[in-house]
Amino acid sequence: MTAAARALAILGLILTVLLPGVAAAQKKVVVYTSNESTLNDLVFGAFTKETGIAVEPVVAGSGVVIRRLQAEKDRPLGDIVWGVSRSLLQTNKALFAPYVSKNKDAIPVEYRDPTDLWIGNNLHLLVILQNTKILPADQGPKGWNDLLDPKWKGKIAFTDPANSGSAYATVTMLVDLWGGGDAGWKKVGVLFKNLKVLNRSSLVFQGVGNGEYPLGISLEYAGPMWASGGAPVKAIYPNDGTIASMEGVAIIKNGPDPEEAKAFVDFVNRKDVREMILKATFRRPTRTDLDLSSLPGGLPPLQQVKMLDYKEDAWTDKRKETLERIKDLIQESR
Amino acid sequence: MTGIVIAGAARSFGTVRAVDGVNLTVGDGEFFTLLGPSGCGKTTLLRMIAGFCELDAGEIRFGAKRIDQLPAHTRDIGMVFQNYAVFPNLTVAGNVAYGLKARRVAAADVARRVDEALALVQLAGYGERWPHQLSGGQLQRVAIARALVIRPQVLLFDEPLSNLDARLRVSMRGEIRELQKSLGITAIYVTHDQEEAMSVSDRIALMQSGRLEQVGAPAEIYRNPTSRFSAEFMGTTNLIEAQALGREGAGMVSLRPEALRLDADAPAGWPRLGGSVAHVEVLGPITRFDVRLGDGSLLKVATLDEPHRALAPGAPVTLAYDPARITVLP
Amino acid sequence: MRLAIPHQQRLPLAIAALGFLFLGLFLLYPLFNVFSASVLDGEGEKFTFANYVKILGRPFYRGAVVNTLAIGVAATFTTILISVPFAFALARLPVPGKAAIIALAAMPLVLPSFVSAYAIVLLLGRAGIVTQWLQSWGIGFGSIYGAGGIILVYTLTLYPYVLLPTMAAFKAVDVSVEEAAQSLGSSPRRTLWTVTLPIVIPAILAGGLLVFIETLENFGVPFVLAEDMPIFAVEAFKLFVGETAPNPSSAGVLGVLLIAMTSLVLLIQRRFLSSRRFATGARSAPPILRVGLGLRLLATTYCWAVVLLALVPFFAIVVLSFMEFRGPVLHPNFSLANFTALFERSTRPLLNTLMFATLAALGVTLVGVPIAYVVTRMRSAMASLLDVIATLPFAVAGTVLAIGFVVSFNSGWLILTGGPFIMVLVYTVRKVPFAVRSSSAILHQIDPSLEEASISLGRSPLQTFGRILVPLMLGGILSGFVLTWVTIASELSATVVLYSGQWRTLTVVMFQALEGGGGGIATAAASTLIIVTLLPIAMLYRLVRRYELST
Repeated sequence: MTAAARALAILGLILTVLLPGVAAAQKKVVVYTSNESTLNDLVFGAFTKETGIAVEPVVAGSGVVIRRLQAEKDRPLGDIVWGVSRSLLQTNKALFAPYVSKNKDAIPVEYRDPTDLWIGNNLHLLVILQNTKILPADQGPKGWNDLLDPKWKGKIAFTDPANSGSAYATVTMLVDLWGGGDAGWKKVGVLFKNLKVLNRSSLVFQGVGNGEYPLGISLEYAGPMWASGGAPVKAIYPNDGTIASMEGVAIIKNGPDPEEAKAFVDFVNRKDVREMILKATFRRPTRTDLDLSSLPGGLPPLQQVKMLDYKEDAWTDKRKETLERIKDLIQESR
Repeated sequence: MTGIVIAGAARSFGTVRAVDGVNLTVGDGEFFTLLGPSGCGKTTLLRMIAGFCELDAGEIRFGAKRIDQLPAHTRDIGMVFQNYAVFPNLTVAGNVAYGLKARRVAAADVARRVDEALALVQLAGYGERWPHQLSGGQLQRVAIARALVIRPQVLLFDEPLSNLDARLRVSMRGEIRELQKSLGITAIYVTHDQEEAMSVSDRIALMQSGRLEQVGAPAEIYRNPTSRFSAEFMGTTNLIEAQALGREGAGMVSLRPEALRLDADAPAGWPRLGGSVAHVEVLGPITRFDVRLGDGSLLKVATLDEPHRALAPGAPVTLAYDPARITVLP
Repeated sequence: MRLAIPHQQRLPLAIAALGFLFLGLFLLYPLFNVFSASVLDGEGEKFTFANYVKILGRPFYRGAVVNTLAIGVAATFTTILISVPFAFALARLPVPGKAAIIALAAMPLVLPSFVSAYAIVLLLGRAGIVTQWLQSWGIGFGSIYGAGGIILVYTLTLYPYVLLPTMAAFKAVDVSVEEAAQSLGSSPRRTLWTVTLPIVIPAILAGGLLVFIETLENFGVPFVLAEDMPIFAVEAFKLFVGETAPNPSSAGVLGVLLIAMTSLVLLIQRRFLSSRRFATGARSAPPILRVGLGLRLLATTYCWAVVLLALVPFFAIVVLSFMEFRGPVLHPNFSLANFTALFERSTRPLLNTLMFATLAALGVTLVGVPIAYVVTRMRSAMASLLDVIATLPFAVAGTVLAIGFVVSFNSGWLILTGGPFIMVLVYTVRKVPFAVRSSSAILHQIDPSLEEASISLGRSPLQTFGRILVPLMLGGILSGFVLTWVTIASELSATVVLYSGQWRTLTVVMFQALEGGGGGIATAAASTLIIVTLLPIAMLYRLVRRYELST
């Protein structure tokens, strides 16, 4: 009995010791990020080491991050929003403060806001991943059209567009590519018959990397990430064209640490930092002055990839109806 | 030391009137027993005094002080429970010291008074034992010591002996009575066992259906029951039509089994009754037998054991009864 | 008119008032907001059932309901099927190593079920280690994905919920009832079927209900294994925190439907149990049956096979955490790099997990034990109402409650989002029913006259609670505390909605690491969680043993 009471007392003691001290660092920056943890940890660590500014990250999916910004509009708690798609940055411009980044001139105009409210960091190309152990390299598809072949039924991993911006972009891009309107949707419907619609994009590249699926529709960086780890994975740049979805950074208007925020914006787009990020996580930078061929990952220069025109803003406006249509399509194709 | 006054106490549970307007005065230092069958309201009444049961109406006073609206823990009573209620997480000494510590008695005094109380209940030296190491009788002694040591104004006993075996019950009730008398604390004792009640009490209140049936000294209630219920509940009795005994009046009379004797053993002046033996039980010191009278009714008879006399079922028998011990019931 | 509040009821009434306040604010209010989100139109102004019509009109979501219920029923059934013979063997047959089996059986509860699912994929997926090994022998089997795999993982991880109460029930069967049946000419086998089994059915059902509710609200397992089968909890999660189109009204509809499903099951179970309560006053455990060697071997093999099979994912994770991961890719070499990587990043998630679990388990105890006191000691309509409300979190999936919290405490006078306490509160509310159940069970065994004795000796009801009841309940409170602690430490479904910034927990690290392809970090975090949660369990067993020896 007394032993039990003592144990309770000890637990209480442990608790007080464990309560992490809320030590306020002198200089800090609060970053709302929807990047995955490997990238966050890499960049935050380097930034703090170089500048002495502590980073307090708030990590969440981009939808949640943006909703949080909107909710905190009158009393912003964050300084930076990072890793959010172009369309979300564009539609929430009112929440940001303008800043002319030191790297502005290195970034092509299409990847930055004309009024300097946001600036692009990296590009995700939509690609087809192939596991070359299950499916020999030369037997894979060459482009999106090849995926319509019934022989791939159940062999292509894809992400539920309700939970993934890039999957949403993939479907809408393909609707446009395949004639737009009902014609395009019809062909996408055929494609869905071949797809396994998984819950999260990570399940797609894990699935292809581990050999659960021979093919997957994913983002560019996943290919070299798995290949460099030793997995038999290659990224196929579709011969019928693809799009690049941009992720960028912006300073939150009236945030608590404006100066530190500016330093962070400059930092993430600096040439050496982009190189470090590319080496570790294979993110294709928006700046064009890196020599991709000499860097790991083997990302082809953008000029060598067939790029499609994509009406991102228009599709963003139609999101709700489009997602419902996709849900029906998934259900019908099961 | 305090007398207890209960005036118009009432309590209902739903439609059941558990205590239905009880008026009672218990004298200072008196050993008072609430006796009755289960469900008669005796325990509810005791719990009202203890403070575990709210009164719907009426009041209770200890001496001049009204206590029925005080929280239970401020009433200064010692209570002994049927199932001992000895705290299993405390030692014997811890149990006995519990009430003293609640009263912030100094530590040295606590130790001394605990030892005294344990000696009083013949458990000297048992202080360091744990409750699970004790027998039922010892546990009840701990409970009694625990209730006595705080020198309460009033001691309450809620069927304290009913979980003990028969022999222990008899010796414990003597001890309880002795302790109470030597300390002079007013005690209220609840039991359903009339023999136990008669053995320990100064006075008994016989209860039925939430009301007091009869209040008086044990012998008085036994000898002069005022109702059929009193007569039947206090010991065994024969309830018979007065006419069956050849008497005047239409009412019932009560005739105790020991007021009946066999013809041969009875004084000449006692009236005689004829019948046949229906059933015999030799219980040791006494023999009980039932006699069927001519009109078919049964009479219970108790006599002292007589080894030389054999009563066989079916044998004709003549009984005599003491006319002075007939109680006419209303 | 007498005093409005009788003094012996003041303490329970005060507790009840606090209980209503707590549960009202942190359970009913968030749930009300979820519900109202589901019945408001797009602008959040007009009352409408359109959202329900819309959701239920979609074959996709109807399919999700059917899939979820079917998987739940099937998993409950398989769980009962493997657990009842297991429980019988442990209670009544001579099986060696019983203590070890029971300790091992509780271990799957320590691991978040999505990690088990991840391990199952690595072992039994299309390219799994075991799959490939079997294929090299020419043995193939169906896909681990879909309903089959989900049911398998549920069965392997949730069976202790049925095993433990059923075993206790088998042990509590009064052997004289069996003897009576046999003296009336019933064979031992017939006695088992017609007498013993019916007596333990309430325990089996109570456990089965827990399994069923867990399957309804579980989010991690179908997230990994469902492939493209729509599952309710996953869809609710996606609708709420979906990257592309968060949709609170539709999420609200799914939340309300989920609560409706679980409440319905809970009510059916109550109905069923109240009509058949078999109290048997067993004084001592029934004897171990004498059986032949064949049956003995069979029982032993069966028990050990089940318990070890259930631990396979568990061991797989531990082994994997000591293997080399290059990026996300597993290589079969020994390495400690995963752990260095995990702790180099930050020890905060580990500390957060320990802190949240401890605070929430304390909270659960502080809320649950007093409520149990009121529920067992007060017989009034109010006590029953409190009982019902305190049971309600049973029926609320973690995702749904978390959504309710975010909706309710994101603005206004009480802002909790973004901080650590929102998680502690949600954990507390979710586990309160467990504390109330287990504490009520103990309180039912404590004679109320002990409290009256203490009060009559001069201690107020509050002091009595602290000095008599709490010490007497301590063993039970402590083991409840540890079990709550463990289940909170491995919680994911509410955490993943609520965590923010620096308040990540180990389960979130695992989840995020698997997201980003960091299988090494994920398994290292899982191993760490296993170690830190096994420690208190081991402590508990020692404490309980010592406690039992001393009394």
